[in-house]
Amino acid sequence: MRRNIHAGKLGSGGFSLNTLTDDELYEIHLATLEVLEKTGIFVEDEDALEIFHANGAKIDKKTKIVKLPPYIIEDTLRSAPPKFVMAGRRPEDDFVVENNRVGFTNFGEGIQLNDLDTGELRAPTKMDVGMSAKLGDFLSEISVYNRAMGAHNVPAEVAPVHNAEAIFNNTTKHVMIGPFSGYLARQIVKMAQVVAGGEQALRERPLVSFHTCPVSPLRLVQDTCEVIMESAKAGMMVNIITMAMAGASSSIHLAGTLVDHNAELLASVALSQLTVKGAPIMYGSSTTAMDLRFATATVGAPECAMINAAVARLARFNSLPSFVAGG
Amino acid sequence: MAGANLIYGLGMMEMGVTFDYGQLVMDNEFARMINYCVNGIPVTDETLSVDAIKEVGSFNDFVTRKETFEHMRSISHPKLIDRRVREKWEAQGSTNIYDRSIEEAKHILARHTPPPLSDDARAELKAIVEETESHLGVEKTRPEF
Repeated sequence: MRRNIHAGKLGSGGFSLNTLTDDELYEIHLATLEVLEKTGIFVEDEDALEIFHANGAKIDKKTKIVKLPPYIIEDTLRSAPPKFVMAGRRPEDDFVVENNRVGFTNFGEGIQLNDLDTGELRAPTKMDVGMSAKLGDFLSEISVYNRAMGAHNVPAEVAPVHNAEAIFNNTTKHVMIGPFSGYLARQIVKMAQVVAGGEQALRERPLVSFHTCPVSPLRLVQDTCEVIMESAKAGMMVNIITMAMAGASSSIHLAGTLVDHNAELLASVALSQLTVKGAPIMYGSSTTAMDLRFATATVGAPECAMINAAVARLARFNSLPSFVAGG
Repeated sequence: MAGANLIYGLGMMEMGVTFDYGQLVMDNEFARMINYCVNGIPVTDETLSVDAIKEVGSFNDFVTRKETFEHMRSISHPKLIDRRVREKWEAQGSTNIYDRSIEEAKHILARHTPPPLSDDARAELKAIVEETESHLGVEKTRPEF
């Protein structure tokens, strides 16, 4: 039997989940603009304060509160790239991040582990950091490798560079790492330059990116400012992971928590773009709800899934790639 | 399904405190199953299978059909999740998924060798670690990795 072609048939292109409507997204956006303009955000680092001041934000040097007019937020959102490639050591490891393409990565950073041979609960060593990178290198669904653990058998002050050494030696995938300070971010960039084959080669194929976490509510602490600015200067992507806890460090209402999360994110985007226009930045979230009975951050809860599904939608509303908690 | 670009969480237990090699291998399989679902149900003349359904009618089956054979690899095929009936699972030693995942992690780590960095690159990375230790004035350590 002949079945002729359809003149333009709409397909789903896969399963999806609708979370917030355009009206709701816009309301969250407007609420965020109001908070950033009227209440402002604490910015600990002096250089970051100066950058905000030079670009028209109202700063209070004593309280370190920065009030951001809506035009700064709108302008900086427009200059942040809507897509980028998280490059690996080899082109086949490259991961394209854009729109609603979905990928997975492992959790980081664990402070203890179950020993592979004995099952004993203990602190991770540099060997474990290397082994987890090697396992992540092999596994098909690990799109990029996120450092799973930090080495505890080296001094804590230099652990990020030890972690980077163990990871770069054990995976060719893109590496996401938490550097803890601007200086350590620079040292890790130097290491990535060695792996990539020079400064220019690394800028063309950035094979490392950095995580940093603002402190809720509404605080861009010292190391967060440093990591955002250093990443922008080096041309490496920075992933801003808000860690608001509904009912504790943000509103008990999930919508209000999204406003707090969004305000921390958009202020971080502003700092990144005012440091270097066009610097790659990711819209991340580890935001969830506090179980007020046990005072625990519930990462396997319905609230965590709902918040992070909404965060993915907000990221697309802002034309930014997203990184969210899968529980 | 909300279209997040990177979903993290694989390999961790206890609210992000404890890493587990077996959990990472298990979660990798779960992520593969999730991606299978997100891919959706393609609806085309071929997949609607009207001609095949007419041919099979009420009293035959689809198992021996050519298209079943051709597409059998496109259905989900977990490696660690055990889909066998209880008797067969018991005959194979009644293992649980965690133990199988730990074995798989050991198997991978014993056999997988990522392409190594050059000796020069390895030495340069080590030098940057040492430079950082000197700069911050902390003890120099060289644990294996």
